[in-house]
Amino acid sequence: MTSVPVQPVRDSPRRDNDARARLAALRVERTPVVLARDRALALTGSLATMLPSVQRGSVVAVGGEVGSGATTAVLEIAAAATAAGEWAAMVDGTGTLGGLAAVDAGVDLARFAVIRDVPPDRWATVVAALLDGVSVVIAELPRTVRVGDARRLVARARERSAVLVTIAPDARAWPVEAAVRVHAHGGLWLGLGAGDGVLEPRVAVMDVEARGRSRHGQSGHGQSRRDRFELAG
Amino acid sequence: MAVRTLCVWCPDWPVVAARQSEAAPEVGPVAIIERGRVRSASADARVDGVRIGHRRREAEAACPGIVVLDVDPATEVRVFEPVARAVELITPRVVMDRPGVLAFPTRGPSRYHGGDGGLTERLREVIGAAGVTDLRIGIADGAFAARLAARRAALVPVGETPVFLAPWPVGTLGDEHLGDLLVRLGLRTLGAFAELPAGSVLARFGRDGLTAHRLARGEDAHPPALTTPPPDFEESAELDPPADRVDAVAFVAKGLADRLLDRLAQRGLACTQVVVEAETEHGEHLSRAWRHEGALTPGALGERVRWQLDGWLTATGGLSGGITKLCLIPDQVIPASGRQLGFWGGDAAAAERAERVFARLQGLLGPDHVVTAVPQGGRTPAERIRWVPWGEPREPSPHAPIGPVAGPVSVEIPPWPGTIPGPAPGRVVDPPVAAMLMDGHDRAVMVTARGDLSAPPAMVRSSVLPNGGGAITSWAGPWAQDVRWWDRASRSRRVAWQVVVDGSLACLVNVEHGHASIAAIYD
Repeated sequence: MTSVPVQPVRDSPRRDNDARARLAALRVERTPVVLARDRALALTGSLATMLPSVQRGSVVAVGGEVGSGATTAVLEIAAAATAAGEWAAMVDGTGTLGGLAAVDAGVDLARFAVIRDVPPDRWATVVAALLDGVSVVIAELPRTVRVGDARRLVARARERSAVLVTIAPDARAWPVEAAVRVHAHGGLWLGLGAGDGVLEPRVAVMDVEARGRSRHGQSGHGQSRRDRFELAG
Repeated sequence: MAVRTLCVWCPDWPVVAARQSEAAPEVGPVAIIERGRVRSASADARVDGVRIGHRRREAEAACPGIVVLDVDPATEVRVFEPVARAVELITPRVVMDRPGVLAFPTRGPSRYHGGDGGLTERLREVIGAAGVTDLRIGIADGAFAARLAARRAALVPVGETPVFLAPWPVGTLGDEHLGDLLVRLGLRTLGAFAELPAGSVLARFGRDGLTAHRLARGEDAHPPALTTPPPDFEESAELDPPADRVDAVAFVAKGLADRLLDRLAQRGLACTQVVVEAETEHGEHLSRAWRHEGALTPGALGERVRWQLDGWLTATGGLSGGITKLCLIPDQVIPASGRQLGFWGGDAAAAERAERVFARLQGLLGPDHVVTAVPQGGRTPAERIRWVPWGEPREPSPHAPIGPVAGPVSVEIPPWPGTIPGPAPGRVVDPPVAAMLMDGHDRAVMVTARGDLSAPPAMVRSSVLPNGGGAITSWAGPWAQDVRWWDRASRSRRVAWQVVVDGSLACLVNVEHGHASIAAIYD
C-alpha cells in the first residue's frame, strides 16, 4: 500500500487576496483615465504639451477675445473628457458654438450637451446643477459674476470632483481662485491670398499660468508658473 | 405549453378612433402620422398607394385630398374603452396590448360558450353592440401567435401553432435588428428560425434572440413559472380629495410607476404586464391589465396608466365620481436582463447622473435650451450642424436633402459640393449678424449676378468682431451659393468670403441682396 503525499494547504495564497491583487493590476491596465479619486484628468491633443492634466475639483479659467483660439482650447478639454468615457457640457452664453469645431476637436457628441440662452440670473444655478452630474463643465461667463456665486461654484466643483472651465474675453474675469489660467493670444492665419487660397489650420499662442505645485513652499505663498505654448487649430 | 389566447384586433384603429371622435371626416381617405411617418391609413387611402412609413408629403402626393392627422393615443384609448368594457362582460381577464388590440386567455370562456367558435360569435355580438363592427378575432397558443392569428382571423387548433407560425416572415418578431440579421443569414421565416437549436440561438443572438426564438416556436416569450409575482409588489395611493381630472391622477400614477419599477429592479426583476386598478368615491371598482412587448420602462408604464385613466374618466358613461384610490399591480414579472453596470462602476452610473442633470435643466429652462449637435450635409458651417434637444432622436433635419448615410461601421456624410473649405469655425453666428464689407475707397463691395466683384474687399466692420473689425489682409472667394432655388419660401442667392482681418482674425462673410453679414468666426 502506498501513501499519497498531501499538499500542504497553507502554501496556496488566500484566494480573495490574490484575486484582488490581480484585479488591481488589471484595473491600472484597463482604465484609460484615472478615476475620480485619482484626482486628475489627462488631456490630449496640442494642449497637453503644456498642460498635461487638469486636477479634478479645480477651476480652469480660459480667456481670450473672439478669434483668439479660446474656443478651440476649451473644446480640447471637452474632447479629452469624452474620449475618456466621461461627460462634458458647455454653457454657451452667446449661442454661437460651432458644432463642427467640436466634432473636429474630437468631442464625442453622444456625451456632450450644450446649454444655450441661459438667463443671467440663472447662470449660477445652471452651472451648479451641471457640476453635480457632469465631469467637465465649460461655462461662458456672463458679463458680471458675483464673487459669492463664484465661490459657491468653486466649492461645488471641489466637492463633486468636477472640472469647471470658464471662458471669457479675459481669463482674469473669473473673480476667485483658479488652478490654471490660460490666456489665448491668437496667431497668424495663413493660406489665403487676394481672392484665392484655402485657410490653413493655424497655431495659436497661449500663456498658461498655473498655481505652483509647491503650495507649501517658501513663505507659504503659491508660486506662479507662466509658460507660453502654441495650440494648433 | 403556451396559454391559449384569444386576440381581438380592430384594423386601422387610429383611423377609426379619429373618425369616431370627429377629428376626421366620416368618409374619405385619412392617414395618421407619428413623428412625420404614416402610422395608420384608412382602406381607401391604402388603395391609392399610401403605405405605413411614408412621409407626410409622399402620402399627400399619392392621395390628394387625404386628411392627415397627428397620432393621439389618449383618444384611441378613450374610444376603445367601450369595446374593452363589452369584452369584460365575457371574461374579467382582459389584457390591453395597445389601443385597438386586446387579448385574454380562453380556457374558461371557451368552455362556457361551447368552444372557440361559439366564443368568437358571442364576442362579435357584444362588441358589435358597443358600436364596432370591423374587427378580427384570432385564437392560438400564446399571445404572440394569437396576435398573428387575429390578422388572418384564424382559429388555430390546439397544438398546431408552430405550423401556423412557420410561414410568417421574421420581421413579425418586432425586433428590427434581429429580423434584418436573420434575413441576411437566409432565415426568412419563423419556421426556419424555429428549427435552429435553442442553445445555438442563445450563444449567437443572446437573451433577446432566445426570447424571439421561443416566440417563433410558438411558446410563451417568458417561462410561465415567473408569472405570479408576490403580492407585496403592489403600489397604491389614496387620493384625497378625490381627483376627477386626468392630469391630477396621472401625476400620482407617475410616482407609483417609478416606485414600482424601482422596487422590482432592486430585486433584479422587470415587468411585462401590469394591472391598473382604481376606486371611485362611490365605490366603483375598475381594473384593467396592460401588456408590453419587452419590459415596461417608467415612461411607458406612466403613459399607459395615463391613457387608461383618460379612458375611464372621459369615456361616455364614465365614472360617477372622482377617483379615490389608485393601485398598480405587476401581473407578470421577468428577470431583468437589460442593464448591466460597468465593471468599474463608471459608465452607466455616470450616464444616469448626467442624463438626470440634463433632464432637470430642460425642466428649468425649457427643452430647446439643452441641445446636442448632429452633423448633417450642407455647405455652410451653420447648415452642417443641426441642434437637437437633448433626449430627442439624433436625426438630421428632414429638410436636409442629403443626410448621413448609415455605413457598415459608422454614420458617414456623403461629399457635399460647394462646402466651405478649411478648418471648422469655432463660433457660428446663426442668424448672421450685419456687417459692412468695403473696398479701398470705403464703398460697399458688390457682386454681380455672375459672381464678379466690384472691387477687392479691404475693410470689414461688425459689432461681433473684436474692436469692431479692421483691415482685410487676405481673403478667398467669393463663392456663389444658390441655395434651395426650388423653394420659393427659403431660397436665397448669396456669396461667401473667407477673410482674415489684421492677420490674426479669420471670419466668414456672406453677402446677400447687397447686405453683408458675419456668418462665422474662426476661434
